[in-house]
Amino acid sequence: MQIAISGGKGGTGKSTVAINVAVELAKRFKLILADLDVEAPNDHLLLGVELQNEEEVNQFMPKFDYSKCIKCRKCAEVCEEHAIITLKDGTPFLMPTLCSGCRACEIVCPVPGAIQEGSRLIGHTYVTPTPYGFTLVTGKLREGEERSMPLVVAAKKRLKNLDYELLIVDTAAGTGNTVSKAIEGSQLLIAVTEPTPLGIHDTELILQLGKLMGIETWVVINRADLGDVNEVYRRAEKYKAKVIAEIPYSENIVKTYVSGTPIVTTDYPEAEIFREIAERIYEFLRG
Amino acid sequence: MQIVIASGKGGVGKSTVTASLLYLLKDEYRLIAVDADAEAPNLGLLLGVTEWEEEREHVGAKIARINTETCIRCGICQMRCPYECIYVDDEGNYVVNELTCEGCNVCGLVCPVPGTITLEQVRSGVIRKATTKYGFPIISAQLDVGRPESGKLVTEEKEWAKQIMKEQNLEHMIVDSAAGIGCQVIASVGGADVAILIAEPTPASLSDVQRVYKVVQHFHEPAYLIINKADINPGFTGLKEWAEQEGIPILGEIPYDSAIPKSMSMLRPFIEAFPESKASQAIREIAEVIKQEIIK
Ligand code: SF4
Ligand code: SF4
Ligand code: SF4
Ligand code: SF4
Repeated sequence: MQIAISGGKGGTGKSTVAINVAVELAKRFKLILADLDVEAPNDHLLLGVELQNEEEVNQFMPKFDYSKCIKCRKCAEVCEEHAIITLKDGTPFLMPTLCSGCRACEIVCPVPGAIQEGSRLIGHTYVTPTPYGFTLVTGKLREGEERSMPLVVAAKKRLKNLDYELLIVDTAAGTGNTVSKAIEGSQLLIAVTEPTPLGIHDTELILQLGKLMGIETWVVINRADLGDVNEVYRRAEKYKAKVIAEIPYSENIVKTYVSGTPIVTTDYPEAEIFREIAERIYEFLRG
Repeated sequence: MQIVIASGKGGVGKSTVTASLLYLLKDEYRLIAVDADAEAPNLGLLLGVTEWEEEREHVGAKIARINTETCIRCGICQMRCPYECIYVDDEGNYVVNELTCEGCNVCGLVCPVPGTITLEQVRSGVIRKATTKYGFPIISAQLDVGRPESGKLVTEEKEWAKQIMKEQNLEHMIVDSAAGIGCQVIASVGGADVAILIAEPTPASLSDVQRVYKVVQHFHEPAYLIINKADINPGFTGLKEWAEQEGIPILGEIPYDSAIPKSMSMLRPFIEAFPESKASQAIREIAEVIKQEIIK
């Protein structure tokens, strides 16, 4: 089983919801939390753990053997990223940061061995045990790399070798194709939003994505007392999404957030809201 | 000059601060604003823009399509797609997931039946232009749902902005970048003269701003830091220590103000809606430093 937690806009409290729900649901399932916000992974900081079991993510990159290359330019023509430029005489050159590692150039090159296997480090994945009875899987893009898709795919591949009953995916902000890649395979999508015009605008996009992907979508309103929640309800209804919780702005939440302590492990009254969200998910998953 | 504002992490108040800075700088300088957060564009809303004067479609993205009539269901495309975007539907047809496809055309190259897989150009989003009620123009991009993350969209935005700068004889471009460190951010940071980083005193924000700073360093741009919500986490010194270590000048500190969400609902820059608040005071001081230190 898999559920995804997303937010459209950044900073809505998506990761706070993800880690707290994970701590609660780990009492009932063998659970993995996957932090697929590969450009800004923070779940480990919110859980107060250090990333462990680092694995490199290396990506294919063509390496030209100029003694064999016949300068036919086919590789450059086929590269959708325009990562290969050719000199006047047809000699190909690679601009590494543009290369997505797709291997299209290798596939079309007519001369065996003219394109050799090169590789480039684009980031890391981590598998970190937490003190809360679940494992955290993290993807982290290397600074200066442009494309997060290969890293999301690599982190998902690493997940395949792990054993779990429930996977909770924490996605990046936005609604581009890396977010849909992260969400793919989920039975439930939870959109965390804020009741401001900006939050509402971005939530509409994530609701659209949920609908296009055919995934049941719920909405959690964070900092619910700082705006007009009615508008969120209206938008949610438009997409047949249920609003399942309202979380007030609370200094206790901020305190636990910055100290790396999931609030559900404390006695603060706000913890109850997160426990209820977890309970709703549990009921949904049990069917 | 071109100034980029970045934070790495979303929700630290980057666009809120940017809108207020634009408001404070608009009288003295001829500005253009670029909202480069194409997946969650907000700057226009914060500046009260409700209608756009001009909209350009961006057809940069490519998506593979499989013709089920000619497909022999060999499965090679599925095996070779680097991003696992091809699946078999309930009727046994091979189908491209259009919400995750990167448009690399590997499937089209390996398919044994010519013409079965075609790479089609699709709309990846729109770029819009408006004139704010404050007199300066804004360019804003919106990526369509499920499209490849598009640095290209941002690059095109900046091109359009440069053209308008020429036409209207404007001096400075202020770019509000996306969260993260990926292609949108790289396209935002690339070509800027100065980067202003915005962070809040939390471990998550520190970690993300450190990452975006590495991107800025890559382009050898001078960087400055604004600490937002400076008082939400007393005792956390990591952010300032890091700035000091790296030699990043701190432009100022803005205290948390619960009126900020209210100003968002009013669709007005915070500084205009609540000019007397402590946060506004701090932003005004920062604008002064920017005038003296950065826009010389
Ligand atoms: S691997 Fe793909 S992106 Fe990289 S150079 Fe080859 S064709 Fe271009
Ligand atoms: S396709 Fe192969 S032979 Fe042709 S230019 Fe590229 S590397 Fe050289
Ligand atoms: S174009 Fe590339 S990403 Fe899209 S389905 Fe084909 S192989 Fe996969
Ligand atoms: S490679 Fe071509 S023929 Fe084979 S399954 Fe894919 S689309 Fe069909």
